Amino acid sequence: MHMQSHGLLKGRRLRRLAASLLLAASFAAGSAAVQAEDLYGSAMEGANRGGTLNVGLLVEPPGLDPFHQAAEARIRLTVLIYQGLFYEGAGGEPIPLLAESWEVSDDGLVYTIKLRDGVVFHNGETMDAEDVAYSYNYIRDPENGSPGAGDFGVITSIEVVDPLTVRFTLSSPNASLPMTLGNKYGAVVPAGYFDDENAKNRMNAESVGTGPFKLVEFNPNQNMLIARHEEYWDEGMPYLDEINFSFLPNSASMLVALRNQRVDLVPLSRPQDVQQVSDVEGLVIERWPSLNQKALDLGAELEPLDDPRVRKAIALGIDKEEIMRASIGDFGEVLGTMVAGMQDTWGLPLDEVPNQTRDVEAAKALLAEAGHGDGVSLTLTTINGYDWMDPAAVTLREQLADIGIDLQIQRVDLGVWINNFRSSQMGLTFNDWAPQPDPNLLFFRHFHMKPEGADFRNWNNEEASSLLREGRATSDPAKRKEIYAEFQKILAETVPTVMLFSQDHVTVSSERVKNFEQHPTGWYFGLARTALEQ
Amino acid sequence: MGSYLIKRLGASLLTAFLASILVFLLVRLVPGDVVGQMMGQAGGADAERAVRAFFGLDQPIYVQYLVWIGDVLRGDLGTSWTRGLPVTQMVGSAFLVTLEIGLVTLFIATVIGVPLGIVAGMHEGRTLDNVIQGFNIIGLAAPVFWVGLMLLVGVSSLLAWSPPLRFVGPFKSLSDNIAILALPVASLGLLQAAAYSQFVRQNVVSTLHQEYVRTAIAKGVPVRSIFFKHILRNVLIPIVTFMGLILIQILGGVVIIESLFALPGLGRLLLSAIETRDYPVVQGALLVVVATAMVVNLLIDLAYRAIDPRIRVS
Amino acid sequence: MTGPAAIVAVNAPAAKPGRIARLGRFVRREPGYALGLVLIAFLAVVTFFPGLFTDESPFAISVANALQAPSAAHWFGTDEVGRDVFARVVYGARVTLSICAGSLLISALLGGLLGLISGYFGGWLDQVLGRFVDVMLSFPPIILGVIITGVLGPATQNLILALSIVYLPVFFRIARAGALAEANQTYVEAARSIGLTEGAILRRHVARNVAPLILTQYMILFPLILQIQAALGFLGLGVQPPTPDWGAILQQGKDYILFAPWMSIFPGLAVLVTAFALILVGRALQARINRR
Repeated sequence: MHMQSHGLLKGRRLRRLAASLLLAASFAAGSAAVQAEDLYGSAMEGANRGGTLNVGLLVEPPGLDPFHQAAEARIRLTVLIYQGLFYEGAGGEPIPLLAESWEVSDDGLVYTIKLRDGVVFHNGETMDAEDVAYSYNYIRDPENGSPGAGDFGVITSIEVVDPLTVRFTLSSPNASLPMTLGNKYGAVVPAGYFDDENAKNRMNAESVGTGPFKLVEFNPNQNMLIARHEEYWDEGMPYLDEINFSFLPNSASMLVALRNQRVDLVPLSRPQDVQQVSDVEGLVIERWPSLNQKALDLGAELEPLDDPRVRKAIALGIDKEEIMRASIGDFGEVLGTMVAGMQDTWGLPLDEVPNQTRDVEAAKALLAEAGHGDGVSLTLTTINGYDWMDPAAVTLREQLADIGIDLQIQRVDLGVWINNFRSSQMGLTFNDWAPQPDPNLLFFRHFHMKPEGADFRNWNNEEASSLLREGRATSDPAKRKEIYAEFQKILAETVPTVMLFSQDHVTVSSERVKNFEQHPTGWYFGLARTALEQ
Repeated sequence: MGSYLIKRLGASLLTAFLASILVFLLVRLVPGDVVGQMMGQAGGADAERAVRAFFGLDQPIYVQYLVWIGDVLRGDLGTSWTRGLPVTQMVGSAFLVTLEIGLVTLFIATVIGVPLGIVAGMHEGRTLDNVIQGFNIIGLAAPVFWVGLMLLVGVSSLLAWSPPLRFVGPFKSLSDNIAILALPVASLGLLQAAAYSQFVRQNVVSTLHQEYVRTAIAKGVPVRSIFFKHILRNVLIPIVTFMGLILIQILGGVVIIESLFALPGLGRLLLSAIETRDYPVVQGALLVVVATAMVVNLLIDLAYRAIDPRIRVS
Repeated sequence: MTGPAAIVAVNAPAAKPGRIARLGRFVRREPGYALGLVLIAFLAVVTFFPGLFTDESPFAISVANALQAPSAAHWFGTDEVGRDVFARVVYGARVTLSICAGSLLISALLGGLLGLISGYFGGWLDQVLGRFVDVMLSFPPIILGVIITGVLGPATQNLILALSIVYLPVFFRIARAGALAEANQTYVEAARSIGLTEGAILRRHVARNVAPLILTQYMILFPLILQIQAALGFLGLGVQPPTPDWGAILQQGKDYILFAPWMSIFPGLAVLVTAFALILVGRALQARINRR
């Protein structure tokens, strides 16, 4: 396949996104039943049923518990097994999943959610409102230790109205509540599931979700096998009998396995690996837009990054395009202040974002003004195993050398990095953001002042925080967009972070694999609609 | 013999105990813990505290140690913090994979290395000796992971073949098992055969230089009978000793090979557990590695004494 | 037991004939040793004067020239940000070899010293140190390296520290065994009887006799530590980018192995050739000690 055709494909996908966004606007107004075909990708006419799909993955989930594991590698896979009340529409709109419809009170504080009838858990029990209330009450209680607890903090009570109706009451209006009840953290499990002391451990051996697939086995450093949930509520789904995910420790063995047809489908974590298989017959290469984001974070606790002039100088010293080309080739999109997948919906138009064009002289002047005319030395932290960071780091080093900054590179392991990050001691670091399908979920926790937000970068910006609060409480899309545009201007002006680029999702599959669509989050929803040719 | 054994075992147990403390402390000194990993960029302070308490990480470190070592003494290595599986089971199945790699590599290394070493030693200083020594030194000098990488890519591009991804034990399917292990064992085996051959050669040469062997040669005793009467006997003990040393070396060297070839062995388990800060797994796996090294050392000792009763307790 | 004079002494009888003849005889008698020495001399030149071999900078990136195959302009091709792989391998020699030499020197000095003291004085100190060394020896070197760099964080000085711990026990044991043997020698008794202090005996006699053993061991372990260093670099635990280091180049290269195998082949060969030369020399030194 040639790159042009990927470009076309990408264009087609983007148009689809825009279309589904229009859909989103109508949802916000009230409630409507959505056709199940919109979930997990598009249905396929006359799809062949059956077969085992072999998928190769570079990153192995540390565990499969959607309540207690925040790892992105876990979310990507468990969306096929567990379900929340809403589905993350490709353009950032919530679509009812286990919910059927919902109503919001005029003050925006009470959500009454009607549940889908006839949903059966993997253990054969039927789902009702008790299960839903139990599951979300469990996750929102901080004592139960869920990383998602913070997102659910606005909920004050969850009540069962009738066996198929649940009522959520909030402490303040929150436009992203439906999206919070999505598939990222938590899921609906049978009421009382966690009463058993061993329940968390059991999630790695057998699943208790409502999703299209159920867990068969999960072997450390080897594979995860899932099989069709025979009693899945959406009849005819999924098409495949089984999916076997093999976990490979490096891209060399992954590419070799792909060339020799040991795997049918590989989501490449490094899109430039396409070059290494583009000459292989019978492989289909596809590009998809994404919600991920590679960024340079500037923690104000580290001198001289406490000076906004220095941060601005760094922003002016950066050539994002070159950094992207060095790290992932052409397989991505340079960003302003919004991830590529949501730029059209929520982004500040790129030509209005300040400090985006490289200007060495202006940067030098700013540094001199800040008292660093003789140059300054900074240490950049990168994470071991994040392939894009090494080439990006050496390129950034060369770029910043031009404005008089001597950049030292310090590679740490992920555990150390998370530790620094969580304690707001990140300094100057590359960051690989997890996808968030909504601007409030994307920005609030990261940039709102403590204690409501985590303000990892010690930005401490009052004006930005009040905009974030306003954006959270506003549900009218047009108003919301205006508020977030204002926020992004401040972000680009005072530079707590420099969003560099979004990396496209690139998948390589054998020709037998049909109808796989990569969701912009990078989660593998699309596998529920994938079929294998006979 | 009995008292020696008791003394030896006592020393090993003491070492194992000290090693367990070291392991316990070291793994906790690595910054960041499992809670941070589970929470990622999300989570709040309350939730974090709750999880920390759940794992007992809020206890003083000596309490944590006593709880753990108490369980270990009862034969319970605990439960993985990320996988929820019993550590005994995880480490056990990983150990079997590593042990198989080790034993097969040892077998290959012995079958290739010992004859090469004997031939080289018998032809000391001649062309054949030089050629074999050249092989030995290259084998010893080549980085194992590099050889593995080259083999993987070379075989893939020349034969359009690569090993199956899913590990299968030899008793389930021998052919699949062989297909999976062929390349990793070949890369490890090259190095170990070289080491073996080099070692055997040195022993053969030094035996040949012994006075009584020289005399026998001078007297015109046929080479074959010198070989069986003197050399083989003298080389046997070092061969046994060296087997143990190589097995320990393989246990250590297998870490990288397992990572390269995606084998679910002890080394890869250890690396991934260190990465996720899954303390019970790190501790359990390291304890098994240390214990294995000790048992092998003990076996070498005993074998040594069985073959050569002259050796006294040192 | 051998003395420092031993190594010199081997060449001593050949002092009379001309230098060239002497050299010729040496090469004929020990071609391996000679080859090893030549290679090491060459590597030493590369290490100290990398600028003699290439005009390219090992740091200068050129994204437009990324991943080019070997050519007249770039003998070993270019890497993913367009740096010259030949320049990186050449400059990498200094980084890699000095890390290995330095860490092994630390283990030799520290391990040797502790071993001497432990073996010479014996007693409870010997027991404690011996037990500690046993514990350290029971960990596979790479695992030890992974944990130590994990605790300290990956940085060059921590890598050196981790690597120096790996073989410390080996030097300890050799020095201890040597000291134990020397302590019972008659000359030590004699020295005591003429009133020399224990410290002086240890320094003047025992250490001097144990030093060649340590030196030989140093050469024998050098190729091994080189491989461990490369392996840790391969796992991403080595030096920090953009510093050129053979293991680190291999680590970047493995991701491009199908498309740009030159990024992996050449640094691997560099490790191989260096280890090859070191083994040749180490073996020859060992043989001399054994012959004594």
